[in-house]
Amino acid sequence: MSDTDVKDDRKYSKDHEWVKVEGGLVVVGITDFAQNSLHEITFVEISEVGTTLEASNECGLVESMKASSDIFSPIGGEIVEVNTELEDAPEIVNEDPYGKGWMFKLKPSNLDADIAGLMDAAAYKDFIESL
Amino acid sequence: MNETLKRTHLYDWHKKNGDVVPFAGWEMPVRYTDIRGEHMAVRNNVGIFDTSHMSRFIIKGPQAEVFLQTLTTNNVSKLGVNDGQYTTCLNEHGGIHDDLTLYRVGEDEYIWITNASNGPKISAHLMEHSPNFEVEVLDKSREITMIAVQGPKALSLIQKIADRSVTEYSRFSSHRVRLAGYDCHLCRTGYTGEDGVEILVVDTPFTDDGKKKATAFWEELLKQGVEFGVKPCGLGSRDSLRLEAGFVLYGHELDEETSPIEARIPYAVKFKVEPKYVGYDVVKRHKNEDAIRKTRIGLVMIDRGIPREHYPILLNGEKIGKVTSGGLSPVLNQGIALAYVKPNSVNEGDTIEVDIKGRIRRAEVRKWPFYDPDQYGASRRQ
Repeated sequence: MSDTDVKDDRKYSKDHEWVKVEGGLVVVGITDFAQNSLHEITFVEISEVGTTLEASNECGLVESMKASSDIFSPIGGEIVEVNTELEDAPEIVNEDPYGKGWMFKLKPSNLDADIAGLMDAAAYKDFIESL
Repeated sequence: MNETLKRTHLYDWHKKNGDVVPFAGWEMPVRYTDIRGEHMAVRNNVGIFDTSHMSRFIIKGPQAEVFLQTLTTNNVSKLGVNDGQYTTCLNEHGGIHDDLTLYRVGEDEYIWITNASNGPKISAHLMEHSPNFEVEVLDKSREITMIAVQGPKALSLIQKIADRSVTEYSRFSSHRVRLAGYDCHLCRTGYTGEDGVEILVVDTPFTDDGKKKATAFWEELLKQGVEFGVKPCGLGSRDSLRLEAGFVLYGHELDEETSPIEARIPYAVKFKVEPKYVGYDVVKRHKNEDAIRKTRIGLVMIDRGIPREHYPILLNGEKIGKVTSGGLSPVLNQGIALAYVKPNSVNEGDTIEVDIKGRIRRAEVRKWPFYDPDQYGASRRQ
């Protein structure tokens, strides 16, 4: 567990997603812990651009060789961009979960309230240690 | 970690070299490196699997044949010494207690190899029926290590370490052979679709010495197999390989409510047998009157998406069945699945839909194996 990477510049959900605010938009991905647990990611599917979500809504799925996992949006809003590179190369999520492996961008509808419900890096580290 | 989980002779090696997870009451390696790499090693070269979690019973005595014919659906009388067969053991309603491989290893001696998850159930079943016959049932699961060696180069690896010629042994045969100096039953069987063997390393008690011996044999296979590209393979690739070959797995395609005819494993079921086995009449009715309640199909995704167990199968929007095993085929790089649907509802080549968590995606009904049998599998063109 100790070699799991957690970045200080973003917030985390209990479903092992990260969010990062960038120029009024929210970028969402899954954490290093999540990609490491899933191993060999074979397929990523995110709901279409234009989909409106509330925080904690299901909005996609990640397939590994062993199982299918749902993606939940930690933040409410409208999906404005989906990382289409993952269609042909889902393994990018394994290789670079906090960078090139980002999954979608949202235009948030209730950012301050939603982000208050998430963990900072230290709290997320404690959370995964407790699992 | 759960104290009640069982471990094989090779547990320490798995723990050191792989990802060990709970499976059917056992702590087993799901992978050593990556599932797809291990999968393709078996399709292209050779892989070795620890299958010692399976249960192994020796059944012997003057009435062994009649006892086994009472409990299993293939024709036991067809087995000569050193022959084996794939078969099933049914309940009174024709549902499947378990599927198994049965080897005749002596005049009145057989080995019954059964699923790990069903070991206790089958043990109880054998013990319940054996007092009516002159037979002895011995659970040898802890005294015999079982290792599968699978892939187009499996026989080359085995021949290299065998004390006699093994390449002429036929499918499903079982012979006593010394491999790298270890006493073994060499069985020409497997669960991957590829050519290969399953090895029973005898005289490996579950003691420190027995474990050391089993581990030394495993390491010898890896060492001798380097020139053939051997890889140790976990249960993840074991599952993806059997799915790609279209083989059934108990708890998914087979259960107490499913007959072998519904599962479309007719080669495991014979009717000219004496005595008639438990479940005979139901299975015969399923075969003759087409009185089946469901039938197994294979499918390959047309649209993007991975079918998974329990997902509904739709035809023109109406539910006709559900997926029992699904995943990504490393050979096709497409989602594949085994499923049960209403009898006579679809034919090979038909387009159906899979409800992937609310996303309706098209798939084609296909026969198994899902790979091109000219390119992969035991009957590939050389």
